[in-house]
Amino acid sequence: MSSQTSAPPVHPPTLSGILRALLEADFTVQLRNGRALTLTFLLPLVLLYGLSAGKRRAQLGGPIVDVALALTLGIASIAILGYTASVARDRELGVFQRLRVTPAPTWTIMLSRLAVQIVSMLVMSVVVLVAAAVVENVTLDPAAYLLTLLAVIFSSAVFLGVGQALVGLIKSPDAVNAVGRLSYLPLFALGLFAHSTIFGTTFETIARWSPGGAVVTLLAGAMQPAAWSADTWWALLASVFYAVVFAGIGIRWFQWSTR
Amino acid sequence: MSSTAETATHHLALQVEDLHVSYGPKRAVDGVSLEINEGEIFGLLGPNGAGKTSTLSAIEGLLRPDSGSIRIGDVDAAANPTAAKARMGVQLQSTSFQSNLTIREIVRLYAGLYGVPLSRAEIEDLLADIHLGEEASKRFSQLSGGQQKRVSLLIATIHNPPLVLLDEPTAGLDPQARRQLWHRIERLRDTGRSILLTTHSMEEAQAVDHGKLLTVDTPAGLIEKHKDDPRVRKVAHGQVTLDDVFIGLTGSELRD
Repeated sequence: MSSQTSAPPVHPPTLSGILRALLEADFTVQLRNGRALTLTFLLPLVLLYGLSAGKRRAQLGGPIVDVALALTLGIASIAILGYTASVARDRELGVFQRLRVTPAPTWTIMLSRLAVQIVSMLVMSVVVLVAAAVVENVTLDPAAYLLTLLAVIFSSAVFLGVGQALVGLIKSPDAVNAVGRLSYLPLFALGLFAHSTIFGTTFETIARWSPGGAVVTLLAGAMQPAAWSADTWWALLASVFYAVVFAGIGIRWFQWSTR
Repeated sequence: MSSTAETATHHLALQVEDLHVSYGPKRAVDGVSLEINEGEIFGLLGPNGAGKTSTLSAIEGLLRPDSGSIRIGDVDAAANPTAAKARMGVQLQSTSFQSNLTIREIVRLYAGLYGVPLSRAEIEDLLADIHLGEEASKRFSQLSGGQQKRVSLLIATIHNPPLVLLDEPTAGLDPQARRQLWHRIERLRDTGRSILLTTHSMEEAQAVDHGKLLTVDTPAGLIEKHKDDPRVRKVAHGQVTLDDVFIGLTGSELRD
């Protein structure tokens, strides 16, 4: 039973080839996940319409804040409901372990997943901004548009960081799903009152510096570059802080397998 | 067992020396050393919890060993894990792929990860070769157990690796599917690949217990070497079989 022929030489894959293969697969998976995609596009649009039709809209901060709130809801939905659920499910199934035995460095596996989420958030943001022009008469000049999309990327880092922390700290997909839903509303709901004194100034301050509040302030500031203020800078700093802390927790305690 | 012990040229496809793996205070692999030549099928046989999968996981790079060295061909796996992984193909004990991808897309993904660009026609040919041409548009979860194993083996060997690691490849398969799979494994061996597999089947492997490599030989050699061992004689009924050697050396109590 001796060998008949020798195994051919092995050519290691290139990093660009690995990333291309991962991105192609992850985008395909994302596009096929129709229900989640619909939800993440529909929720911010429904909120935008609801806020524009609401009687107390001025108390929440006005049309720009309405759009910022809708964007925040969309970003939080994609990150905390979509991203965490898919990572927790694939980890449970062993998908990551299968990928880890290939030459793909582990960071490329996560980078591809995150890139797909960020692109989804950017597409959702464009849809919301187009809707905002119709519903709220909020139109942005090209510079404001670009700055807003840049702010969306910073904001996505906050909520993807929160999502990463959730899947880092919790192993079971069911528990991740449940805790995600529980934490998603407070994270976003606090942001609703970041520019409102309906519940008093103390609550407003807490809301403003919550992850959701910081993101709303940042997005609202980016939509009006001329009115960019010290508050917007602080919101940007707070967003970076939250992104680093949550992502740090998520990376530190993340396990590729539940077994 | 080492089914091709008589390989003429002894180029090592895998060399493991004094491997130790622990899970917290529990030692899973305790000083395992083994060598696999080119074109050799090498089996790790042992009861549940013996450390077979831990040994394999350390070689695959899924577990960081406490100590010991692993060389895949001439590549040090610890120093250059990417190059080491490019030289091996892996079939995990329970494999799953992204649930929203079709079989065709899964093959394309893994071909890309191993740097083997495949056209759609080439993928169709590969799937037809394992009698899954009709299933190319199905999801992995829609396939039968035997079909899933064939897809896993195809992906494990899509880049023609010199070393193939198979963790219980025949588990859960009916006799026909098992025979087909063994035919494919032997074809791999015949084209120069080296194969390390874990199994519960007596005909396929080495004896490993509690992470300690107990004995290395061909099946006939194992019987010859241990037929007079009192532990083996105690469990044998008449002529000593490989089953008797296995149970005698590793104990007859049930494991988790």
